[in-house]
Amino acid sequence: MAGVAASGRRQRAWVPYAMIAPGVLYLVVFFAIPIYTLFKTSLSVNSGSRFVPTLEFSWQWSNYTEAFSSYQEQIARSFWYALIATLIMIVMAYPLAYVIAFRAGRLRNIMLGLVVLPFFVTFLVRTIAWKTILADDGWVVEMLGTIGLLPPEDRLLSTPWAVIGGLVYNFLPFMVLPIYVSLEKIDPRLLEASRDLYSTPARTFGKVILPMSLPGVLAGSLLTFIPASGDFINAEYLGSTRTRMIGNVIQDEFLRVKDYPVAAALSFVLMAIIIVVVIGYTRVLGTEDLV
Amino acid sequence: MSRTSRRPATRTSAAIGQSRRSFLGRSALLAGGVALGPQLLTACGGDDEGADGGGSGSSDTLRISNWPLYIADGFNTSFEEASGLTVDYKENFQDNETWFAANKDALAAKQDIGADLVIPTNTMAARLISLGWLNEIDHANISNISNMRPDLLDGPWDPGAKYSLPYFSGFVGLAYNEAETGRPITSIDDMWDPAFKGRVTMLSDFQDGLRMVMMSQGNDPGEATVEMVQEAADLVAEQNDKGQIRRFTGNDYQDDLTSQNVIVAQVYSGDIVQLAADNPDLKFAVPDSGGTEFIDTMVIPYTTKNQAGAEEWMDFVYDRANYAKLVEAVQYIPVLSDMTDELEKIDPALAANPLVNPPQEVLDRVTTWDILPEDVEADMIAIYNEVTGGLTWPGWRRAAGDSGRGFPTR
Repeated sequence: MAGVAASGRRQRAWVPYAMIAPGVLYLVVFFAIPIYTLFKTSLSVNSGSRFVPTLEFSWQWSNYTEAFSSYQEQIARSFWYALIATLIMIVMAYPLAYVIAFRAGRLRNIMLGLVVLPFFVTFLVRTIAWKTILADDGWVVEMLGTIGLLPPEDRLLSTPWAVIGGLVYNFLPFMVLPIYVSLEKIDPRLLEASRDLYSTPARTFGKVILPMSLPGVLAGSLLTFIPASGDFINAEYLGSTRTRMIGNVIQDEFLRVKDYPVAAALSFVLMAIIIVVVIGYTRVLGTEDLV
Repeated sequence: MSRTSRRPATRTSAAIGQSRRSFLGRSALLAGGVALGPQLLTACGGDDEGADGGGSGSSDTLRISNWPLYIADGFNTSFEEASGLTVDYKENFQDNETWFAANKDALAAKQDIGADLVIPTNTMAARLISLGWLNEIDHANISNISNMRPDLLDGPWDPGAKYSLPYFSGFVGLAYNEAETGRPITSIDDMWDPAFKGRVTMLSDFQDGLRMVMMSQGNDPGEATVEMVQEAADLVAEQNDKGQIRRFTGNDYQDDLTSQNVIVAQVYSGDIVQLAADNPDLKFAVPDSGGTEFIDTMVIPYTTKNQAGAEEWMDFVYDRANYAKLVEAVQYIPVLSDMTDELEKIDPALAANPLVNPPQEVLDRVTTWDILPEDVEADMIAIYNEVTGGLTWPGWRRAAGDSGRGFPTR
């Protein structure tokens, strides 16, 4: 009897491992191995020809110093743009998510659908469409010119503003949805209680709603900041040489210059900075309630 | 990656302003994002010599890898009827460097790349020849080779056309919107007119972008040195610092030209044929000091599984009547001589268009890039990349004495 029970327990012991096996396998094949190869590349030297490099691993840490010192401007710019874009997104997404969660009523699903709708068009086409909207002769530029809000270049395209605007536009749904989820989870009875206790609407928001929705803001910020800082499409199509981001540099190093070690090192620099930023961010805001 | 470019539904999209170069400009960019993938995968599995790629190659199938929108409707069907072969035609050649990055490991290991015939640009063909990755083409099997423009038979990229036969050519020159510029643009200096500030684009490919600048500086790109390239790159950087140049583009200058954000641009002639049909203000010019002709070539990788079929296809292309159909569809410059009669049969307007059927004196003003030693070419690419990558604007140039990224010592 005891033996049967024990074997049953033993049998069950491997079940969790079997269940995570596909995920682990996937991670190993599509994450761990590529990351390992990329890491090896980043510490290699090219002993072959320029166009057909033969990479030899040699702990070449100078690839990192070279990558960092040559491209610190693009690195700094990437994170600066991503930061501004993320802040703009929070300001835009929070009220929208709030309305959808508390005020939309029967329109809630339709509004959520509208938030997601742009994803039915590819990222690239959406970005290129902005070139038409922001054209020098277009009404947007004309209107901003009339009220004196144009940047010094007298246009929007090929300026940082177009790139940041593109980032905001393309990643906005990733900010709206997590904030919506955390707002939607708030028990309405808490809001009633707050009102019953003579709290003003502003205090209810500050003391109840905002703290409870912060995990959504945190999740949204991560979901937008990370891809935005590595993005290269917006800078490529809406920007100029003065707005190039680290993604553009990595692409150039791989395809044009074919300096694979430095390109790989740059990828790691980008990853390292993102990890540091994310850890710092979650330390400050906490992750317990992260959706 | 799902973020790839839109794929035109039919080849008629060529006629509505979507040429292969505009298409590839967009997709090349994205392919760049993906290029890391194959690189890593081949790095992992680089040793399995025996793995035999697609494996679909056989003597009655011909696998062709060509640029998007670079063929006529029904062309391969008529070839299949004429030859009895089955054509496996793929429009998966997006961009020379991307194609090279994706296939070099397989070619170095002499593994099948899934294509028996590929159509790279002549500079890439030269690289492939120098690496020994192409099969010789037996001219005896290509009787129509006599139709070819004689000057192309002995190009510096492949003397005697032993490994590559031209497919189409085109000019790299200047396009401008005459209504906006108010005057014809004839020289490189016109690009630097302060009136056009921020409304000029240049090509980011170093040969296409710099060659005409070098010629305007009195340098002969046929004998290009790193110093000459640096001189041209410095001029471009200076103009870029002033804000004269709006962007460096691949082939994606078309939107900016049509929306008049840009009024002077370095372009490929075939694109302007199509854009000018919609917008008569758009003009194309080969600069006074000279322009460039690029030539796309048909080559047979040494991993081919159907050498005979590939040669048969080349011969079919070189038939004047067949080729006229290709010209009508792709609107680039024929590599066959005296196509006027054949083109007139199809469309007199086509025959009269100097960008499709250029007169000899225009052909005399353009030159093709000489084939450079690999290290020199790589240095030149790096030099121009500093400019197009925004690494040379004020306050950013590295301290004197440091030759910087232009000359990696490795």
